[in-house]
Amino acid sequence: MMQPVQADLFPADGDKQPVMPPVHLDQFEGPLDLLLHLIRSQQMDIFDIPIAMLTSQYLALLVEPDQPAAAQQAGLDLDIAGDYLVMASTLMQLKSRMLLPRPQLDDEGNAIDPRAELAAQLIAYEQYRLLAEELNARPRLGRDVFARCIFPEAENVERPLPEADLDALLLAFRHVLKRVGGEVRHQILVETMSVREQMRLVLERLGAGGMQLDEMLQDSPGREALVTTVLAILELWRQQSISVVQSECYGSVTLLPKQVMH
Amino acid sequence: MLRLCYAIAETGYALIVDDDALTSRIEALVLASDEPLTIKRLVAVLGDDIASGDIRAALLELETHYSTRGIRLVQVADGWQFRTADEHAASVQQLWQIRPSRLSRSALETLAIIAYRQPTTRAEIEALRGVKTSGSIIATLQEREWIKVLGRKDVPGRPHLYGTGRQFLVDFNLNSLNDLPESSQLLDDDEKEQMISNHRGEEQ
Repeated sequence: MMQPVQADLFPADGDKQPVMPPVHLDQFEGPLDLLLHLIRSQQMDIFDIPIAMLTSQYLALLVEPDQPAAAQQAGLDLDIAGDYLVMASTLMQLKSRMLLPRPQLDDEGNAIDPRAELAAQLIAYEQYRLLAEELNARPRLGRDVFARCIFPEAENVERPLPEADLDALLLAFRHVLKRVGGEVRHQILVETMSVREQMRLVLERLGAGGMQLDEMLQDSPGREALVTTVLAILELWRQQSISVVQSECYGSVTLLPKQVMH
Repeated sequence: MLRLCYAIAETGYALIVDDDALTSRIEALVLASDEPLTIKRLVAVLGDDIASGDIRAALLELETHYSTRGIRLVQVADGWQFRTADEHAASVQQLWQIRPSRLSRSALETLAIIAYRQPTTRAEIEALRGVKTSGSIIATLQEREWIKVLGRKDVPGRPHLYGTGRQFLVDFNLNSLNDLPESSQLLDDDEKEQMISNHRGEEQ
């Protein structure tokens, strides 16, 4: 789509251009990065950018036929191509303004170089690009330097997975089968405590009045009894047979039979 | 007279022991802390009768002591922490079996701009980099607690103002934002204008 435009505008430039090493758009962080690469690699003066030459090189890269997939879609994917296209139009505008016989003047009557803004932008970006590199070169915690910590499983790190090996897996499984006698049985445990029974017990114990949750759970022997008692309390609460009161965060929990609540 | 001399000698001796004891106590505390340990926190733990100047002196002594060892005492985010020396990075990575995640150039550039220009907006970052900043870059930097929202800029749209968080200092081995490399060489907009107009002047 842009090829004919470029061909028409810059027919003669092609022959004079130095041969550029092949570059791909996805190597760059954006149009400024690409322009800086063109300027620096050809040792152009950033304060006196040869706009016509730069523009044609820039456009040539943009429509390069052997760009990888991401850039190939440039014509379609405006998210990626948009910034590059805006820069292309800026460059073409600069080029035409450079051709104007009467330059614009600033307040003091000096000619305004239309390229000054772009140069400032490029210098600013180049600075931050450099600062980013310096930041990256600093010894970073978790990459270059390590602090002693209780859990060395620091976040944001990738742990290499062990090499997958089907034979080793099968072998390990065979060992396991041998150890359990070649047969794995399921064992089904019968529920030894019923929630219903426990509900009755809870109500019975609450008959005398309110009781602390801690106190209620104290005599439950073992995990199963504990769980059953808590389930029973929750069920009773749901049925609104009892009330559960906690007056403050993390404070003690009081169980009240319904009739005690006025 | 003899008694007095004895007393002085004894006090002198006691002082030296005290200094060493303080240094060794501080050494233990810094190692036992999971976070960079601040002098303020050390004063709180050691008691008010120990001057913060003495604590500082002890820390500096320890810093020198460890400067040639495999672990270093470093000052980060206004606190002190023992860290492995960076020349042993590869060995520790092997020990922990980690492959540290790499930062993309766009994330690094965005972080650098936020660090040096804070408080700054996404629009400003985009203007400087010449490309749109994807939300995922901001999200990644926020997830690592390197950047945070400082507030909103009082312009139409009220965009978020971003700045660096404490974790940025901790992770990038910085004691304060003033320790950012080369920040003094950063030109502001006026200086850039100046540079360009100077150059124009030379040409004419």
